[in-house]
Amino acid sequence: MRTKVASLFFLFLLSALPAGSFAQEAAPAWVEETMFSSGKMTTVVIVVTAVLVGLGVWMFAMDMKLRKLERRLKK
Amino acid sequence: MSVRATEITSLLALEFRLDMRQRHALGGLLLYVVSAVYVCYLAVQKLVDVPVWNALFWIILLFAAFNALSRSFMREDGGRQLYLYSLVDPRSVILARTAYNGLVMVVLSFLSLCFYILFLGDGALAKAELGQFILVTLLGGIGFAAVLTLISALAARAGNGLGLMAILGFPVVLPMLLTLMRASRNALDGLPWEVNDRYVLWLLAIDALTVALAWLLYPYLWRD
Amino acid sequence: MRHWWWKVLCVLLLVHTAVAGLYIPLNPGLVHVSRNSLPPERTSISLTGYNTHFASCSSGNNAWLESGTYRYCLGTAKAVSETRVDLNSAAPPAAKDGMWTVVVENDVDGMLRLQNALFVKGSGVNGSDQPCPALVPMNSSAFMFHKGFPNRSILNETIRNLFFHVPMWFSMITLMAIAFVFSIKHLRSGSLDHDLAASVAVNVSLLFGTLGIVTGSIWARATWGGWWTSDTKLNGSALTLLMYLAYVILRGSVPDAHKRARLAAVYNIFAFMLMLVFIMVLPRITDSLHPGNGGNPAFSQYDLDNALRAVFYPACLGWILLGIWTYNLRLRYGRLNALLDENESR
Repeated sequence: MRTKVASLFFLFLLSALPAGSFAQEAAPAWVEETMFSSGKMTTVVIVVTAVLVGLGVWMFAMDMKLRKLERRLKK
Repeated sequence: MSVRATEITSLLALEFRLDMRQRHALGGLLLYVVSAVYVCYLAVQKLVDVPVWNALFWIILLFAAFNALSRSFMREDGGRQLYLYSLVDPRSVILARTAYNGLVMVVLSFLSLCFYILFLGDGALAKAELGQFILVTLLGGIGFAAVLTLISALAARAGNGLGLMAILGFPVVLPMLLTLMRASRNALDGLPWEVNDRYVLWLLAIDALTVALAWLLYPYLWRD
Repeated sequence: MRHWWWKVLCVLLLVHTAVAGLYIPLNPGLVHVSRNSLPPERTSISLTGYNTHFASCSSGNNAWLESGTYRYCLGTAKAVSETRVDLNSAAPPAAKDGMWTVVVENDVDGMLRLQNALFVKGSGVNGSDQPCPALVPMNSSAFMFHKGFPNRSILNETIRNLFFHVPMWFSMITLMAIAFVFSIKHLRSGSLDHDLAASVAVNVSLLFGTLGIVTGSIWARATWGGWWTSDTKLNGSALTLLMYLAYVILRGSVPDAHKRARLAAVYNIFAFMLMLVFIMVLPRITDSLHPGNGGNPAFSQYDLDNALRAVFYPACLGWILLGIWTYNLRLRYGRLNALLDENESR
């Protein structure tokens, strides 16, 4: 399972490598508005949120693993 | 030390004889390169643009290297390998094999360079510093062999042939590939040696590092 | 106490990072000029500032053009609000054609510059300076405001991401170094526990690497205008992640535990060394948008700023400690799991 997820992510990264060529295209207006407003503070908020969400997802995965371990211990 | 030197030379000779016995494998390799170059020729005809010429050449070489070196440890079956390693130091085996693969790769790179020029034209070579370009190609062949020999041993031990070899090899070979492309482009652009010498030094350093790592790590790979 | 002092330190450092990193204001700065060029005839331009005190300052606002050592006064600007001044001015006839920096000065904010903001259609050669009339001396108590983070154009508030993006990489590298050390230890000892430690360190380093890539991508969108640019550091980090994902795949494809441990350790040592080479070589080969490479303003320039430094260094240590902590938790889980496996097989 983990290998599969890793391979998918691997493929995703591979596909992202040459993506620089179309990076400079104009973005939709809502992106500009949300990310550039009020001195681009929104960007900071999104970045901090992304970090917290990432750590949160990790905590959930860990929680699930521990639950499995507990179940095995009870047996 | 002298024992090891004779060991390595005899192992090299053994590799050579084994490959001569399986000449179709070497022929297949050559055919692979020729067809790759020919496909490029069909796709773009004559190429004059230096960056594209350069990039295409190294990409063809990279895939040829993967193809050539993946079989390096595949033909080993358990019994013969055990017999071999009971006779000699495993470090001699990896050094001999890296050296042999380096030789094969150098010959292969020059052959593919010939075919490449034959089909896609030498328009990109107009301003080139040929000596530098040949030196870079030489270092490239040796470098690919140095990096991919250990990876091929790893993939063969993991028992998961070509797929794993590509996955493991691609990221580790990239630093070298990028340096190579840059150095050879500088050579093709006819830049003086003072500009290019540090790239060549970097290449030498990476080659030396990978050979040293292979020498250090291989003894842990072969035993079960 | 011995076991958890560093965890307390980690929490304190991260609290400091969050509070100081988000609360300390940005220094006043100019962010926008309403026109791209200044023609020879009188035109009205409005200048937008950020965290400025255009209206409440007592000195009034002087505006001028600057290029090298040349300065031309554009006159006194009328404050519309705290963050906006209007000007009615023409290109100074003595100024040379080209991009000029716009400067606004008042006694509270000091001198605010927007680099290369205006194309001036002037006469051709720079004549003698036309300085603005001197302002009242700087109001030093209001000037305390400048203890905030530097307000650089394009970056603006996103300079705070320095505390939430860059340390992810330090965390990742630390964990990869831990994995490297345990891989060597495993090859020397053959112990499966060392292998477990190495593989867990790689797992957690992938978490931090992913966070680094995601946050970096968001930051890049806001400053460089693309989610992914073909940048040295971006490609380097993507490749580092590729190497370690390949490590995970290698582990997944070998069923036998001891063999898996040995192969993984060999690959890890090889990959880590080549990654170091890659990090050293790559910036020398290609140009980069990233600070510190290829003609970009270096981050050392920001680091020299004491306000940033006072948050950045603790943030790095805090995030590295958090990385080690998560690694620690995951390792303890892995050990329990291994123990259970052992008991079940018995």
